[in-house]
Amino acid sequence: MRWIVFRQVAISCLLVVLALPAAARTRPRYGGTLRVEVEGDPWTRSGVQPGSLARRLVFDSLTRMDADGAPEPALAVRWASENNDHRWQFWLRPGVHFQDGSALISAAVEASLTGSCGANCPWTAVHVVGSTVVFTGDAPMPNLPELLASDDFSITLAGQANSSATMAMGPLIGPFIGTGAFQVEGFTNGVLTLTANETSWEGRPFLDKIEIAGHKSIRDQWLDQSVGRADLVEVPAEQLRQAHEQRLTVIASPPVDLLALAVADGGVLSNPNIRAAIALAVDRIAISNVIFQKQGEITASLLPASVTGYSFLFPADRDLNKARELRGGLTPPPITLSTDGGAAMMLAAQRIALNLREAGFNVQVASAGAPQHADIVLLRLTLASNQPQAGLELLLRRVGVAVPVRENSPAGLFREERDFLGTHTLIPLLYLPRAYAVGGRVRDLRLSRDGEPLLGGVSIQSSQ
Amino acid sequence: MKWLCLITVFVSGLMTQAAGAPPSAWVQPAASLAEQIAGILGPGQANLTIRNLSTIPNDEIPSIRSLLEQDLKVRGVLVSEGENANTIHVTLSENVQERLWVAEVGEGNETRVAMVHVEPGIFQRTQPVGGLTLRKQTVLTSREPVLAVLETADGLIAVEPEEIVIYRHAADGWQEQKRVGIGQKSPLARDPRGVIFLSPSGDGFEIFVAGMSCAGSDQPAKPAQELTVRCRESDDPWVLVQPPVTPAGSTTQGATAQMDISVTPFKAFYNAARNYFTGVVNFSPGVDLPPFFSAAQLVRSASDAPLLIEGIDGKVQILDNIALKPVSGTRDWGSDFADLQSGCGGGTQIVASGSGEAISDSLRAYEMPAQEAIPASAPLAMDGTVTALWTAPDGKSLFAVVRSAADQYEVDRVSASCN
Repeated sequence: MRWIVFRQVAISCLLVVLALPAAARTRPRYGGTLRVEVEGDPWTRSGVQPGSLARRLVFDSLTRMDADGAPEPALAVRWASENNDHRWQFWLRPGVHFQDGSALISAAVEASLTGSCGANCPWTAVHVVGSTVVFTGDAPMPNLPELLASDDFSITLAGQANSSATMAMGPLIGPFIGTGAFQVEGFTNGVLTLTANETSWEGRPFLDKIEIAGHKSIRDQWLDQSVGRADLVEVPAEQLRQAHEQRLTVIASPPVDLLALAVADGGVLSNPNIRAAIALAVDRIAISNVIFQKQGEITASLLPASVTGYSFLFPADRDLNKARELRGGLTPPPITLSTDGGAAMMLAAQRIALNLREAGFNVQVASAGAPQHADIVLLRLTLASNQPQAGLELLLRRVGVAVPVRENSPAGLFREERDFLGTHTLIPLLYLPRAYAVGGRVRDLRLSRDGEPLLGGVSIQSSQ
Repeated sequence: MKWLCLITVFVSGLMTQAAGAPPSAWVQPAASLAEQIAGILGPGQANLTIRNLSTIPNDEIPSIRSLLEQDLKVRGVLVSEGENANTIHVTLSENVQERLWVAEVGEGNETRVAMVHVEPGIFQRTQPVGGLTLRKQTVLTSREPVLAVLETADGLIAVEPEEIVIYRHAADGWQEQKRVGIGQKSPLARDPRGVIFLSPSGDGFEIFVAGMSCAGSDQPAKPAQELTVRCRESDDPWVLVQPPVTPAGSTTQGATAQMDISVTPFKAFYNAARNYFTGVVNFSPGVDLPPFFSAAQLVRSASDAPLLIEGIDGKVQILDNIALKPVSGTRDWGSDFADLQSGCGGGTQIVASGSGEAISDSLRAYEMPAQEAIPASAPLAMDGTVTALWTAPDGKSLFAVVRSAADQYEVDRVSASCN
């Protein structure tokens, strides 16, 4: 584990060092347009992923995660809990305005949070008390400041950031108006254009504009960067080695994306032994080595080793004989496996199906985008905090387990993780880093705790 | 033989000290883990294995094992080598914040887990050396951005983007006494800057931040709560170079004052919506100055003290005889520099931040006998990005604000020693 952890740290450091420009550095300059290309949609969220790059630039939340994964003030300047974390009060930052000029008031925050919080809402009620917002819960909410940093609870003018509103409806309607450093200017020919918010409470960003071109293949992204048409493009974990061979300047996060199998606990898979057999049948090493080119950190725990130090207690080795034994003599009915990710995720799903067939399961992989119910889904979850207690709750909520994590000691967290993983409804496989290739004129690019580019502080490099 | 044993013990002790935490650091966690193990197993015998997944040097494992065996024995658990139904697998692990020792205790087919967390070790860093050696001493650390600080006779005044913070000496360092809001009405700039100078009389201070200026008095021995600060909206030019001023109550004199050198007060207009000076200054330079990030006066002699500026295009130029001339050898410079009256070499050096990015900025001294910057020291590694750098009122040292990768701010005093 030590070697894995420190190899990842070393790789991350190396990648950051590789990102350093050779030219002289000045203070950040104002002006210019940053051109970004992404494989997915520049605005619409997909699957269980928390958000998109653009949403983070347009919207803010009451809190946000600092570099250590701890909550820090954003639209709220302070907060306090009472009654054993059943009641939380958040004081709003004064003088903040939405991008249409209207003031950020507590009623707007209440409306936004009420509109965005769905069935798994962490609180029971939210209401306004003067210039503060108060959350109350039937159950304690020990990690509420961390949860509110999530993109799920970003504050919009109409309280519908997570609605199905699309860009075709126009950029200046409520769901697209926030308090962030950039505002939506328009969406033309697949390119989302954001412009600097001159009155941003964090200060006007250095860039004048950001253009995000969506639905671009990785190959096209790299090609565009090589000819100077893109400043920031994606580097999937499985292509990190290739990116270095092509001498791209890469910035990578620590492993933050958890690949995991969500296993239904009903129907065919209602028998816990069958689910346990699936967990034992998966060959994580092969998936890591073959599909993700050894860029992942193999895991059978929800939280990575670097966060807890105890992940080795969850064995990640494949045990085909035990899997067959647990499955029993009968051949179970067909199982469907799907994924909501891209090409590498589909390859991983096919590899997992092969593993399961070797254990005697009859598995069919649903074609990408097929709108059908699957018994097993290969997910990519993001670790939003490296504070173990909050990180675990955020992960669990992402897969629909709305139970507050109250333990904060290593032994207590281990017990919570062990008890949940013992149900085999979620089978962790790999932790992967997020990476981007950065053009030579981009400076001061940093990644957030969960691997998203922080573009508010980015500027365009001048040449000396 | 006795002496040989003593020397061996002494040398091994030194090696242990150099390699990591002292053995005493393991006493408490070993005892705590042994207590949990004994609570699971009860009195009896067990096999003990230890594996190390942490940064603890492997040569410390025997001493940790020895401590564990002793602590287990005290609690009735005897560690034995032979066949045994009871097993104790101890893993020395860690995460990014702390060390974690985990015991997997096996009794027959059942395995139970015990854990203790251990404080992280302390790692020493060494300073590079060069011809003229720069040294740093941390004055203040803060989670809030620090734009500038001023040491007064008995206190420290720190300028944050929205507040002025007054510190006083305490037994364990600077203790915050008072915060005064600056009261900006417009949003702050994303790369906020500010300066603070002693007033010419030495018993007050002046602060400039974007769109605001503040003035205050800080009488020695006066309680911080009685200190007054008044801020107002202002687009007055900022003071960038000031003749040496001795703080009220202080007995030391500024270096340039001792050298009998006349330093011209220099003020420049700041673009409050951005992060640079417009190029308009309080004297007639004879040429149009470009917008610039930084300026310093390079005191070469009593009659030769040209102005050095770095434009927003990254070019460093020297204003010499009403002409702007490019300075070579500045390709490695960042945007912050300040003059230092070290008394070494030519007497005055320019100390500049490095051109690296966030995680590994540095400071380096340069001699500038003409239009070329010549390195005069090895780079002094800073633990993050240098976000501000200015000369202390006495001229003999500098202050640097460093932002770490974890967004912590550190104010360092940088001084030089001649080799």
